[in-house]
Amino acid sequence: MNLSFAGCGFLGIYHVGVACCFRKYAPHMLLNKISGASAGAIAACCLLLDLPLGETTSDILRVAIEARKRSLGPFNPSFNIHQLLLEGLEKFLPDDAHIRVSGKLHISLTRVCDGRNVIVSQFDSREELIQALLASAFIPIFSGLFPPKFKGTRYMDGGYSDNLPTLDENTITVSPFCGESDICPRDDSSQLFHINIANTSIELSKHNIYRMVRILFPPQPETLANMCKQGFDDALRFLHRNNLINCTKCLAVQSTFVVSDTLDEHLVYDPQCKDCKMHRQEALVSNVPDTVLNVFQEVIESANKGVLNWIFKHRGMKLLSVLSLPYTLPADIMYATFTKLCLLTPVVPQATRRLVFRKVTNFELMNFVGNQFEVHLYQHKPCRALALSHNVTDDDDEADGRVRERERVMASAPHVSNTLWDISKVMLDQVSNVLNRVNRKSQQVSAKITCQLAITEYGGNSTELDHDLVENKMNLNFTLNLDNSDLPLEQSPERKFKTRQILQRKPSFTVNKTDTMDDDTFDHILQVTSHHDAIMAYYYLDENNKVKVTEIFDVTDSESPMLQTPHEKHVNTNLEFDDSWNNYGELGQPYQLDDQTSEYSFEDVIESDKNIFSDPESEWIGSCKIEEPEDELTYFSDSNNDTRPESDRSGLSSGATNALKRKCTIPSFSYEEIDF
Amino acid sequence: MFNIFSSISEKSTLEKMSEIENHHKRSWWTKHSENRLAELEITILSVVKSKFKTWFVPIGSSVGQDDKIWTITLNEESKNTPLVMLHGFAAAIGFWCKNFDEIAKDRPVYAIDLLGFGRSSRPTFAKDCESAEQQWVDALEEWRKQVKLEKFILLGHSFGGYLATSYTMQHPDRVKHLILADPWGFAEKPPNYKPPTFFRIMGVILFPFTYFNPLAAIRAVGPLGPALVRKMRGDIARRYSDSFENTDVITEYIYQCNSQYPSGETAFHSFVKGFGWSKNPMVHRFDMIHESTPITLLYGEHSWIDPSSGFILREQREDFSYVNIDVIQDAGHHLYSDQPEIFNKCVKETCRIADNNEDTKEKVRPVNFLKEQFNESRWKDFIDPSYPQKITKEEIDDIGESENDGEERRDITAH
Repeated sequence: MNLSFAGCGFLGIYHVGVACCFRKYAPHMLLNKISGASAGAIAACCLLLDLPLGETTSDILRVAIEARKRSLGPFNPSFNIHQLLLEGLEKFLPDDAHIRVSGKLHISLTRVCDGRNVIVSQFDSREELIQALLASAFIPIFSGLFPPKFKGTRYMDGGYSDNLPTLDENTITVSPFCGESDICPRDDSSQLFHINIANTSIELSKHNIYRMVRILFPPQPETLANMCKQGFDDALRFLHRNNLINCTKCLAVQSTFVVSDTLDEHLVYDPQCKDCKMHRQEALVSNVPDTVLNVFQEVIESANKGVLNWIFKHRGMKLLSVLSLPYTLPADIMYATFTKLCLLTPVVPQATRRLVFRKVTNFELMNFVGNQFEVHLYQHKPCRALALSHNVTDDDDEADGRVRERERVMASAPHVSNTLWDISKVMLDQVSNVLNRVNRKSQQVSAKITCQLAITEYGGNSTELDHDLVENKMNLNFTLNLDNSDLPLEQSPERKFKTRQILQRKPSFTVNKTDTMDDDTFDHILQVTSHHDAIMAYYYLDENNKVKVTEIFDVTDSESPMLQTPHEKHVNTNLEFDDSWNNYGELGQPYQLDDQTSEYSFEDVIESDKNIFSDPESEWIGSCKIEEPEDELTYFSDSNNDTRPESDRSGLSSGATNALKRKCTIPSFSYEEIDF
Repeated sequence: MFNIFSSISEKSTLEKMSEIENHHKRSWWTKHSENRLAELEITILSVVKSKFKTWFVPIGSSVGQDDKIWTITLNEESKNTPLVMLHGFAAAIGFWCKNFDEIAKDRPVYAIDLLGFGRSSRPTFAKDCESAEQQWVDALEEWRKQVKLEKFILLGHSFGGYLATSYTMQHPDRVKHLILADPWGFAEKPPNYKPPTFFRIMGVILFPFTYFNPLAAIRAVGPLGPALVRKMRGDIARRYSDSFENTDVITEYIYQCNSQYPSGETAFHSFVKGFGWSKNPMVHRFDMIHESTPITLLYGEHSWIDPSSGFILREQREDFSYVNIDVIQDAGHHLYSDQPEIFNKCVKETCRIADNNEDTKEKVRPVNFLKEQFNESRWKDFIDPSYPQKITKEEIDDIGESENDGEERRDITAH
C-alpha cells in the first residue's frame, strides 16, 4: 500500500495529524512507498524515517511563527523560507537518511527547463536528499530566485506539475483540501464546482479558499492545531470506514489460521470481534497524541505571552500596523534587498556558511559588538574546523579567514536590527515582569481546579458472551476549590505558587460533586486513574485564572465492579452517552451476505461522519474539547526573559517544561502549573 | 482534420447538422466551432463498439423556436423497457461513452444532450427557476412524444438527476423506475450557519462572482479556454485515459460544449443560491414524487454530494415504495467514469429488477457498498502479517481457549 501526500505549504501540519494516526492505529499496515510533493514530501520523509512527531511539529510551528512575525507575513523580503527549511532538515535528518528512504520516498519535482513532472526516489547522499526535498518545496520568487539543483538539473515545486503523485491504484491519497481524495476534510457545503489542479481535486468551497490562502500565509497556531487534529480525525475516519482498525488479538487469530493451514474465510477476519469494536471505539474518542498536542500548547501559550503581544493583539494596534505598512515596508524591502545582495556574491556555499556562523556565534549580539571579538571567536579551533569543512578547496587558511571576515561584516547587517529587536524585547519583558509582580501582590490568590473525568470502561475479555459484556461509562465533573483557608498555615499561598511546589490532593480540598457519586467511587477512580496513563490530557488556563484539566483514561483492563457499584451502573446507563456503537454489530448482522458483494450498514458511517465537517476557525468539537485561551487573555510568566533567538530557545524550554510536567504529576491528574 | 472526419461514415450526420444548426459558426473570441464539436463527439463515440444512431429530435417551440435535441440511440430493436440517460451540468452524451455498450446489451438506450447543453439547441430560458425547470420538463416530455416512448427507466446524473426527479414528479406514468446517480440539488443549504469572520469577509468579496455564470471564465479567456479546461479538469480526462490515447479530446470536448451561448448554463445559474446550493431543493418536494415510482440512488464514495437527503427520501417512502441506495466505492462524483464496470452492472441490475417488476417495497435492501474487489476492503491485502508477533503468550492462550480448539492451540505453541 502506498501513501501520497499532497503539497500544501503550511497546511503540511495536516499531514502530521494523518501520520500520527497511521502510527498509532495502523501500525499493521504495510507502507511500501510514500510519495509527496512540497510539504507533503517532507512529511513523507519524516514518516518514513520515524522522526519524532513532536519535534517535527514544533519545527513547522517555528517556521509558521517566524513567517507571521513580519509585516507582509511570509512575503517580507527578509523571510527566507528556504533557509528555515534547510536548517530544519539539517537538524532532523539522521546521517543515514538517504539510505533508509531510497526507493521508498518518491518526491515529485517539476523540471524547470521543460515544466515536466519528475518523480525521484534514489538518493546517493544525505545532501542529495535534502536538495530534493528543498527543490520540491521551492516556489519561485517566494523562496528565492534560483531553483536548487538536484543531480545537476534545476527543479522546482512538484506542485506545479503533479501535486499528488499516485504511484499505483493502491495509493491512499491524503490532501488537506476538501475534494475527492481518500483522506481529506469534509466541508458541509454543496458544491457543484470542483476543480482539479495538478492532480489534486479541490472543491471550490469557502473553506478551501481559506485553506488556499493559508498555504503561504500561515494561520494562528490555534488554527494549525485544529488542522492537525482534522488530519488525525480524517485518517481515523478512513481507517474506520475501511475496517482497518484492528485489535492485535484479531490479527493473532488471523495469523493462527494462516499458520495451521485451516483457512476459514469466516474467521480470518471477524468484524464482530468485541475487541476490535472496542479498539475502534477507543480510536473514535481518542485524539492526537500528547507529544504533538503539547507542542501546540506551548506554542499557543508563547504566542499569547508578553506585553508586546498583548499590545499587538489590540485592534487599534493591528490597524495601526496595517496603516503604517506603506512607511515601514519600503524600509524593510530596502534593508532586505541590501542584505540579500551582500549575501548573493558567493552563491553556492552561502546556505551552509550561514548555518555554521550561527552555530559559531551563538548569539547575534556579538556581531553587533564588533569584529575583534568575532575574529577571536572565529579562530577558536573547533569552530574553524567546522567552517573549513565546508570549504575544502581553500587551502590558504589566512586568506580564507580574511575573505570570511569581510563577508561576515556584510552578513552581520541583518543581525543588527535583530539585536536591537532583541534588546527591546528584553526591556519590555522586564517591564512586564515588574508589572506582573506589582500586579500579583494585589491579586487575590484563589485557584479553582475543575476536572472532568470521562471514563469509558469496557469489561471483559473475549471469552465472555455478548450479554455478559459489561460496558460502563461514566462522566464525572468535580471541582476542587483551593482557597486560602484550605491550605495549611505554614504555606502561604504566595509562596506556594512562587516556588512551583507540587500541588497535592489533600483532604482539605472541598470536592463539589456535580454527579451522582460518593467519595468511595471517587477514591476508586483515583485508584484506577493512578494506575493508568491518560490517553490524553489537556490543561489550560481560562480567563478567570482557573486551571482546567481534561483527561481521558483508558480503563479497559481494570475490574469493573471496583469502579462502580450496581446502583451507579444503573445511574450511568441513564447518563447521556453515545451508545450507537453497540448497535453496530446488530445492525450489520441480519443482512444477508451476498456472495459477490459484502454489506455494511451505511447509516453507521453516515452517523459517524456527521461531526466531521471541518471548520478550521471554529473550535474543534469531539468527545474531548480543547479550549484555548481567549485572544484577549494575557498572562505573564517570569521564565520568559530569555534573549536567545527563538530557534535556540525552543529545545531547551520545551525540555524544561517536560521535566516540570513530569514533576507535577499527581496520582489523580497531572497538570501544568501556571503562575498566577 | 476534416478529411479524417469525412472518411467516417457519419458524414450525412454532419451535413444534416450543419444545415440546421449554426452553419459552421465560429466564434471570433472563443475557439468554439460547431464542426469541431461534432468531430470530437464522433471521436469519443468511436469507443462505443455497438451500433448506434445519433440524430436531432425536433421538439417544436416549447422553449425557443424550433428547438432540437441531440439524441443517441443504441439497441433500438430490443423489446425491454428503454433507458433514458440525462447527463450532468456542463456535460454531454459523450461522457457516457464507457457505459453505452454494456448497458445497451439488454435494452434500448437513449441519451440526450439536455436542452441548452452540448449540441442541442440553445434557447433562452425563463429567468426564474420554477419556470425554467418547467421548460426543461416540457422539453423532455416533447422529446418523449417525438421518439415515441411509452414508459421508460430514467437515469439522471448530477444536475440531470435533479431534472429527472422533476420530470418524474409531473409524469409519473411515464417513468417506470428512477435512477439517480449522485443527484445535485437535493440537500438544503444549512440554516443558521454563522461563519467565522474570515468566511464572511470572503463571502462579501466573492459575492459579485455569483452573478456570473459558473463557467463564464472559460469563455472570457477566449483562446486560452481549452488550456484552462485542461488545467482545471485534467482529472476528467484522466478518467477516460484508458479509452483514448490523446486525453485532450475530452477536455476539448468539455470546452467546445461550454464555450457556446450559455443558455442552459444561465438557466442552471438561476437554480443556484449562494455557492452551489439549490434554491428549490428536492428534499422539500419528496412528497410530490408519486407513490408508485421506485427509485434507486447511486452515490460515489468520495463524492462531495451529501447522501443524507437520499436517506431522508428512503425513510419517507419506506412504507409504500421501493427506494434503494448504493454507494460505489472508490468513485467520486463522476461515478460512471470512475468505476464504469460497477456502475454498468449496477444500472443493468436495477433495470432488470424494474423489468421484472421486482422493485416493490418488500425488496428494499440495506445500503450496498459496491466494490471492485469483493473482499472486506481493498486495503486488506496490505496488512502486515508479521505484526501480531508482539502479542504476549497469555493472550495467545486466551485466543486458543476462546476458539475452543485444542489443535489450533498446539499449533501456536509449536510456533
